[in-house]
Amino acid sequence: MAKTEEKTVPPVTLVDPIELSELDRDFREEIHSMPNGEELGACFACSTCTAACPIANSWDYKPHQLVRMILLGMRKEVLASDEIWLCLTCFECQERCPQNVRVTDILFDCKNLAAEEGRIPPNVAELGKELVEQGQLYVITADWEREDLGLEPSLPGLQTEEVRNMLKKSRTGRMLGEDD
Amino acid sequence: MSPNKVKSEMSDPVLVIGAGVAGLTVAVELADSGVETVLVDRETSVGGNALNLYKAFPTDDCFYCFESNRSRPGIRKCFYRSALLDQPNIDLRVDTEIEELNGEPGSFEIRLKQGPQYVDPKKCTMCGACTELSDAFSLLSPQCQPQSVIFNPEKEDEGSSKAEEECPTGAIDLNAESTETTLTVSDIVIATGYQEMKPNQIDEYGYGQYSNVITQLELAKTLDPNGPSHGALVRPSDGAQVRRLLMVQCVGSRDENYHPFCSKICCVFALKHANIIRRERNGTDVSVVYMDIRTYDRHERYYREAREAGVEFTRGRVSEVTPLEDGTLDITLYDSLLDKYFKTNVDLLVLSSALEPSTGMTKMIEELGLESASGYVSPANLLDTEVVAGDHVYACGGAIGPAEVPESVTQARAVASKILQERM
Repeated sequence: MAKTEEKTVPPVTLVDPIELSELDRDFREEIHSMPNGEELGACFACSTCTAACPIANSWDYKPHQLVRMILLGMRKEVLASDEIWLCLTCFECQERCPQNVRVTDILFDCKNLAAEEGRIPPNVAELGKELVEQGQLYVITADWEREDLGLEPSLPGLQTEEVRNMLKKSRTGRMLGEDD
Repeated sequence: MSPNKVKSEMSDPVLVIGAGVAGLTVAVELADSGVETVLVDRETSVGGNALNLYKAFPTDDCFYCFESNRSRPGIRKCFYRSALLDQPNIDLRVDTEIEELNGEPGSFEIRLKQGPQYVDPKKCTMCGACTELSDAFSLLSPQCQPQSVIFNPEKEDEGSSKAEEECPTGAIDLNAESTETTLTVSDIVIATGYQEMKPNQIDEYGYGQYSNVITQLELAKTLDPNGPSHGALVRPSDGAQVRRLLMVQCVGSRDENYHPFCSKICCVFALKHANIIRRERNGTDVSVVYMDIRTYDRHERYYREAREAGVEFTRGRVSEVTPLEDGTLDITLYDSLLDKYFKTNVDLLVLSSALEPSTGMTKMIEELGLESASGYVSPANLLDTEVVAGDHVYACGGAIGPAEVPESVTQARAVASKILQERM
């Protein structure tokens, strides 16, 4: 009879639980203290927001899960998620929420928090940069279509100077503008 | 104390507003104890919400018959007929509204306005002669009380006057007019009950836009053998048999935009309906979409029976309702337990809509100087009893909040005993 060797490997775990003590318990309070977060704690996870969301089907984290995550203090996961940026801001979730949780507005707050940490998706950053530098999002180019319609090559009287100046001093300008 | 002695000490009658389960119980209990009672209801028949129900939980008896009280034993004895016909202390006035409330507690001045009594219920034998001659005459329900046909002046036709002439008992008077009476009462009992919210404003369900979206009380009417379809489960749009049905819980309940409270009994009666459909209406699939199932207290058995009867449960919410040309509805719903979206096609969407105080409740609470609790009557002192609303003013049943039959009856009896104690 061969002697059975004693196992020295750690036992196999079936679940990989999230350690609650490692979560940021202040995150809930942080969102809650913002004007939009007043009713955050009223969420009872009915999932009406997710049923209402036109695009959550393709999301890893559904709207009601994002709210749960905020309540649990999963700050890192929420602010690093693509979903907060994918939100169409159609406000359907906020409109239908039976407890008046301002889901869409809270996602806006999350975007702002993520941006302050420098987490801005490249496409959004590109748009912001355009806005800061040009003072407008869509720069009109002189092209044959305008010519055919008898329009001037550029928008007459368009002044972007003030907008540029304002934005330079704003947070958007500081984060996305060119370093002077 | 003998009933006769109580009677001799009383000068004013008690006014009971609303002749549903609670109001009827108060009136009968008081009348049997020798107290004169004026029972008013704005509808043409007593019964309230019960009039349109097929079976009542928790006994699953026909709602028209339930055990009445000690002096009228027998479970299958019809409460309405037995009590309202043979009890001289009840002055029943249907089709009557309260115009004015004045006076002091213990001596309220009430002005009542009763609509035209085209058919005298004391003379009508319900022979059917008038209903054959004219569409304006109809029988609300075989169990209606007063036992009489009703006349709808909007449908008056040539046959109406002929029916008036030919009525064998001379019960019809087409020239009847509204009457007003003033009376002094010692106590007021508010038993105005609840009504179901019409969820027109909740866009995603399309209630009021699509005819195959109905509420639970409308479904109860459909299931009632005395109802328009004689109990067959059919679609309102074309009368076709319903093969698939979806129920949605918490429509307007627990919703800060409509009614912040849980309507308490909708889960139970939704499951009661689901069980009736699964067990008595063969071949219909029933699904329930819920956010929490709250079959409180001893009603858990309905939930268990529903699962056994093959009712499908989905924890989630409805995303979208799309009507198709064939009258069916395409429904997209989100299942929050599986984190998946599902699509289904149903014949009928049934909304468990919030139960709200009856119309006019706010005005009555104001006029009597009572406290409101989410629109319902709030007890004057929660620590004492929930049925005393103010000085000589009592409330019971659905007037205090959504309530099931046994609760309404219990509260009604509490009101009766409180009034009797006051008079000792």
